[in-house]
Amino acid sequence: MKPVVIKRDGSQVPFNALRIAEAVLKASGAARCKGVDAFAIAAEVETSLVGQEQVDIHYIQDAVEACLMKSNHIELARIYIEYRHDRDIARERKSHLNSEIDGLIEQSNASLLNENANKDGKVIPTQRDLLAGIVAKHYAKSHILPRDVVRAHEAGEIHYHDLDYAPFFPMFNCMLIDIKGMFTDGFKMGNAEIEQPKSISTATAVTAQIIAQVASHIYGGTTINGIDTILAPYVTKSFDKHLKTAQQWHIEDAHAYATQQTEIECYNAFQSLEYEVNTLHTANGQTPFVTFGFGLGSDWQSRLIQQSILKNRIAGLGKNRKTAIFPKLVFAIKDGLNHKVDDQNYDIKQLALECASKRMYPDILNYDKVVEVTGSFKTPMGCRSFLDVYYQKSGLDKGELIHDGRNNLGVVSLNLPRIALEADGNIGRFDELLNTRLLLAKKALDTRIERLSEVKASVAPILYMEGACGVRLKADDCIADIFKHGRASISLGYIGLHETVNALYGNEKHIFDCATKQQKALQIITRLKQATQEWSEQSGYAFSLYSTPSENLCDRFCRLDAKRFGVLEGVTDKGYYTNSFHLDVEKAVNPYDKLDFEMAYPPIASGGFICYGEYPNMQHNLKALEDVWDYSYTRVPYYGTNTPIDECYECSFTGEFDCTSKGFVCPSCGNSDPDKVAVTRRVCGYLGSPDARPFNEGKQEEVKRRVKHL
Amino acid sequence: MNYSKYYPIDVLNGEGTRCTLFVSGCIHNCKGCYNQSTWSPDAGELFTDQVADQIIQDLNDQRIKKQGLTLSGGDPLHPANVEQILKLIQRVKRECEGKDIWMWTGYVLSELNKKQKQIIELVDVLIDGKFVKDLADPSLAWRGSSNQVVHYLRKASVNE
Ligand code: SF4
Ligand SMILES: [Zn+2]
Repeated sequence: MKPVVIKRDGSQVPFNALRIAEAVLKASGAARCKGVDAFAIAAEVETSLVGQEQVDIHYIQDAVEACLMKSNHIELARIYIEYRHDRDIARERKSHLNSEIDGLIEQSNASLLNENANKDGKVIPTQRDLLAGIVAKHYAKSHILPRDVVRAHEAGEIHYHDLDYAPFFPMFNCMLIDIKGMFTDGFKMGNAEIEQPKSISTATAVTAQIIAQVASHIYGGTTINGIDTILAPYVTKSFDKHLKTAQQWHIEDAHAYATQQTEIECYNAFQSLEYEVNTLHTANGQTPFVTFGFGLGSDWQSRLIQQSILKNRIAGLGKNRKTAIFPKLVFAIKDGLNHKVDDQNYDIKQLALECASKRMYPDILNYDKVVEVTGSFKTPMGCRSFLDVYYQKSGLDKGELIHDGRNNLGVVSLNLPRIALEADGNIGRFDELLNTRLLLAKKALDTRIERLSEVKASVAPILYMEGACGVRLKADDCIADIFKHGRASISLGYIGLHETVNALYGNEKHIFDCATKQQKALQIITRLKQATQEWSEQSGYAFSLYSTPSENLCDRFCRLDAKRFGVLEGVTDKGYYTNSFHLDVEKAVNPYDKLDFEMAYPPIASGGFICYGEYPNMQHNLKALEDVWDYSYTRVPYYGTNTPIDECYECSFTGEFDCTSKGFVCPSCGNSDPDKVAVTRRVCGYLGSPDARPFNEGKQEEVKRRVKHL
Repeated sequence: MNYSKYYPIDVLNGEGTRCTLFVSGCIHNCKGCYNQSTWSPDAGELFTDQVADQIIQDLNDQRIKKQGLTLSGGDPLHPANVEQILKLIQRVKRECEGKDIWMWTGYVLSELNKKQKQIIELVDVLIDGKFVKDLADPSLAWRGSSNQVVHYLRKASVNE
């Protein structure tokens, strides 16, 4: 009697020798070896099973391997084993796929549902997006990405970010929208031809629609670089309109009337825009990650826009006057314009300080330092991705320096502590391993470029045909060229520099107090930078070094490493890894010393960076906050202020809620009902409301451990 | 004089970035006082010349600029403290150009004795009065309770 075979999923089928012969034939085809009698091998295996009633599939495969080895088909045996291995992995992924989908349906997969602080996994459109993400990720791992890249990603050696979107979909990461070009040249959205706006309120309304469209076609952040100067002409149009009305109605002081009406209109326009952005739900199932850069305009129209943005933010959203989470505000400070007391826009800097003390945003861009570090002034794409210099060629001369319409193609991050752990404290070994891992990261990044190489403009009309990317391609044109020659950036990320040097040199001395560790940390980052520079030279693409924000990664990498290497003091014991080059959040230093510590890194990691300080409530002491901003002016390009602005609607406490492992609790009355509190924290370069959607465990732990720098 | 704590960089007690000294010794016994541990004049450590030197040096730091010195406690106007406090303030006025002095006291301005008044002559901003728990309001600037008063004694103070 033939035995019954028990398959991997537990089902049972009668033994069939033909199956074995087929598998062996397939393998010998792949091995290009002739003269293999597949049927003889199948028969031999069958004989070896005589007398057994039940046999496990693994046992049969082992028997086939043994037969192949015995009959001296060594190469064939190797291929067969490999083939079997691949099948095992595919099968494992498939069951993983199923369990992920199950988790979504049953709403039981906390890490999936909370993965992105900006997505509400409870609502249907988001669930559709999450489902698409699960499948896209599965498909990319199984069919698009090279096997070693997938393995390294799954093992947590590298992280291929945003796998739920790209490379399955030909999407890129983040960008600076060319609003100016779109407005001046007109564009189509859906069925509507949009012409140049005739007032500031129309301009902001159209801007909101553009943001919604763009954010549905990319997976990272959407930035408007200099919204004050871009929209200033539409303030003029509003003013002219109001002036005309005043004259028509013979209003005595027509100019004063028009000024006042324009101020009101502009304020309301930016209020609607803020509401719009916070209520938008893109096709990606999330509120879009939007950033507004502003501050450099000096004409009255730009000033009015700057004031409108800040005053709206200070006023708060809705009846509870909640802190708006989006758009992220980034205010540019420039010596001679708004930096010093005598500068013409100094009053707006004061407003920005007030806003930061009450609403955390704006973060600031120190003009001169941004130029020094990144070659020219620009707002970051998303929360921290910076473009390098690029000249749009026109004829023979060097061309025009442009920023708007450019983008980032995506990120792959290195798990630096892992390399240190694998090297077991051996510096030479670390350097070697780092080099191998860099090659792998490069290979992974190349797949992003590859994926976009033959894509037609029609996949995202808003980006490629209607001007958001600063170009007007035809539907069938290939988009590849607009990413070349440094026009787009593509980024190598990294995480956990702090834990890396601890793993290499032990935990006795803190990096803040240890020259050796500091030196090594800088050397590591310099090595990464050098790699990106080499890649850029070889490929013509602008590879950049990016300090990964890592909302999930800080948790994931650490968890994987703790599992493999154990809980190691100063490395895996906290449950999270430290963000990029940042000083570990537990180190109690003043913000000045923290700036001095971190200022060395942005010039090296010039493709992405931000520095923060943790402050107590500064609402009564803007001068002290300004002292630190001013100190940062000549030291770091990009600085954010974290201050306690939580609110309890139960007892009207404002300040800092206690961050416990269970959630956020009002220190004055113990309230933790998400509907009756507003908790605002910096998550990953953006703000988040962790009361509404909890952080992952690692992030919660990190937030819990943050110490004040004053 | 003893002091219970010295902060070389402080932003919570007075305007701008400051050096803040919490001295020991207070007789006011306010209910709900945050600094009970500072009541005894023997609390904390002895205020030595070295500590004074350190304060002067921190005030004159060119890297992290300070607006001035804050004296709190305890009570800097406690009879056991006035002598040393006067000496310290005089030194600051002499050696640290342009730095202002903020002071918190549980006494009320109008009731100060001669010695205490001599100190106040050199103080730019004085917040006076006991802390009254029933009048406590965390949203007040520089004051714990609404009975207290912020006296900007010298309008000519830096930046004002
Ligand atoms: S005066 Fe100040 S230190 Fe003294 S008891 Fe009152 S609150 Fe406490
Ligand atoms: Zn409460």
